[in-house]
Amino acid sequence: MELELGSFIVREVALGETTRLQDGRLSIAPDEIRALVADSPELRGMTVDVAQPGESTRIAHILDGIEPRCKVSGPGSIFPGLLGPPVTVGSGRTHQLDGVAVLTTATIPGASDGLGVKEALVDMAGPAAPYSPFSRLRNVVLQFDLREGLSIIEATAAVRLAGLKVAAYLAGVTREYRPDRLERFVLPPASSALPRVAYLCQVMTEGDIHTTYLYGLNVEGMLPTLLHPNEFMDGALVAGDYHIAAMRVATYQFQNNSVVHELCRLHGRALDFRGVILARNMWWAPGAKQRSAEFSAKLARQIGAEGVVITMQNGGHAVSDLMLACQSCERAGLKTAIVLFEMADADGSDWSLVDVAPEADAMVSTGNMDAVITLPPVDRVLGGTTLLDFNQYEGGGDAHLGGAFTTALRRIYCATTPGGDGRLRARAA
Amino acid sequence: MERRIRVIHYLNQFFAGVGGEEKAGLPMEIRAGALGPGRKLQAELGPEGEIVATLLCGDNAFAEQPEGCLARALELIGPYKPDLLVAGPAFGAGRYGLACGQLCQHVQDHLGIPALTAMHPENPGVELYRARVYIVATGPAATAMEPALRGMARLARKLVTGVPLGSPEVEGYLPRGIRRNEFAAEPAGVRAVHLLLRKLRGDPYESEVPLPSFERVTPAPPLRDLQQAAVALVTEAGVVPRGNPDRLEARRATKWLRYSLHGLRDLTGEQFECVHGGFDGHFVNQDPDRVVPLDVLRELEAEGRIGAVHEILYVTVGAGAPLANARRFGQEIAAELRKAGVQAAILTGT
Repeated sequence: MELELGSFIVREVALGETTRLQDGRLSIAPDEIRALVADSPELRGMTVDVAQPGESTRIAHILDGIEPRCKVSGPGSIFPGLLGPPVTVGSGRTHQLDGVAVLTTATIPGASDGLGVKEALVDMAGPAAPYSPFSRLRNVVLQFDLREGLSIIEATAAVRLAGLKVAAYLAGVTREYRPDRLERFVLPPASSALPRVAYLCQVMTEGDIHTTYLYGLNVEGMLPTLLHPNEFMDGALVAGDYHIAAMRVATYQFQNNSVVHELCRLHGRALDFRGVILARNMWWAPGAKQRSAEFSAKLARQIGAEGVVITMQNGGHAVSDLMLACQSCERAGLKTAIVLFEMADADGSDWSLVDVAPEADAMVSTGNMDAVITLPPVDRVLGGTTLLDFNQYEGGGDAHLGGAFTTALRRIYCATTPGGDGRLRARAA
Repeated sequence: MERRIRVIHYLNQFFAGVGGEEKAGLPMEIRAGALGPGRKLQAELGPEGEIVATLLCGDNAFAEQPEGCLARALELIGPYKPDLLVAGPAFGAGRYGLACGQLCQHVQDHLGIPALTAMHPENPGVELYRARVYIVATGPAATAMEPALRGMARLARKLVTGVPLGSPEVEGYLPRGIRRNEFAAEPAGVRAVHLLLRKLRGDPYESEVPLPSFERVTPAPPLRDLQQAAVALVTEAGVVPRGNPDRLEARRATKWLRYSLHGLRDLTGEQFECVHGGFDGHFVNQDPDRVVPLDVLRELEAEGRIGAVHEILYVTVGAGAPLANARRFGQEIAAELRKAGVQAAILTGT
């Protein structure tokens, strides 16, 4: 499988009369964007705004962040299974708008038995900015106005699809152009002297509301399966997790997965990248957890790995599933390095993890999500007006989003993302 | 600093030169200037610091009357208006290490000045005080005096300036079990790839999160007679009366609650709800007995298989609970159960 990723470096984004890219400047016509979702009965309206790094702007109620990409050649469509039939992607040529993200925001009605949609914030400047990767991108912020009476599942599904359509459309303006940068992703046979490494990517699914999509399929019934790294780049994985913001993996981060990219980069030189195992986590019964962990280890061995990098998503049981997978791999003779976030209480004094296996001797931290930060007032807020709280556990609920308030990093979008794309970590002090 | 740091140095009876074990009952006292190893510490501090006085106390005197000694210490130190307290080094001496740790913590809390001590990593004072007090790691015995004093002086200078400290390895103190966020040069995924490569090559590698050493809890002896036993139900599933009248938090609960089971044969979704923020509770809302099995326990009670169902249900939410809170909840609930004559408890988790 060979993929050419053609990147267009975007230096400026602004609303304008037409949607086009010229000399690194992306112009977006809101009417054209709105027309894309006009046939969606769940959506009453959608506004389009732009937020650039360094602005005094706060974006709230974020559901997903997506990188504009489109297929220009090769089988399948971008975000297969959702924007097109589930034809295998990862070959041909794909265009990417580098430096841009589409952020979908909406006030989703109600909460459902403890697992409602949680607050997710990005500050484009100020002390909270470094904690979210989206503060460094030019964000096309979509604010959705939803029809009355929708269930959470209907609402999030409508917003999810709309965001993907907009992202694909924006990338589509580059279809006839030559990219600024062209990168080839192919994994030719590597020397047998090189260490053989696989990537086990654990994705979340929990209850009816929060899940992950693989070629449009909800992963909830899925046993571990194999993916080619190029499939990540064409949007085979789409995020449907609207739980605690800091531990989410955005669609953008599946598209730009740092483990996939680093393993591809080093393939043939420092290692032999044997492939990716995709597994759902948060299995609800001990036998189910063990089955999935064992399958993951078995697949890793079957594709010839000696070592496995494991990343995860979400928390709680997800940490147990991570540790079980680590344990199954190590007991099968595979060395592991695992990525996870920490919950060490606001002052950093609590034991960080909800579960641990003695085999987990090579952990990479994505930071303590309980750490507290004070956000300053901002000039502009997109996405909502009032800070979301849930059942009084976060505190600060009902604060005005434009003003100052204190929050744990939990509410900052992807702040401690255990998918591995952030630079935050915790260390001993 | 324009003026010299004013330091109080704490020593036990031995290092102060008063005597050995026979003088361990020496009451807390203070003497002007530096004594014993304090003189070398003074040399290490150089012109930046001055040991204005040395506090000394016998190890037994402190161990037997810690409150009295601490109070006396504050009285004695006060007039010197110190900027910093330095205690020890205690090396492997247990009573001395405990005294150093406790004194440092007390002075930090009551005088609001920084404090530091030094001892061997296996000194019992480390386990008790490392989270609150900076402890420089030393060798096991006084033969390691010189490096200990150097490390203490270095840390002393930094603590007084109030500059945020670097990592324990860099600054020379024992990790306090505290996690602090920082930004790394590379994303976590990249770091994980390279960590794995080191492990595969057989090179030295280090985990960014240490493995814990959990205390072992000795299980209680088995019940002698289940048919006589009062059995309690305890849960972290957050099952509370509808409306959550006591506002139990969905995560990071700050409390545990008691609800009467008097006259209840089972728990129903009309009367109770699940407020736990860590899982999808709608199956529990349909029938709370699914996580708090009152219905089955009542059957066993009626059949005489257990003595009685305890009248009070204990409830909290475990999601995101700091370990310290969870430990405290358990101890408090257990104390009540014991007082009520309960012999066994079914604890349900999610």
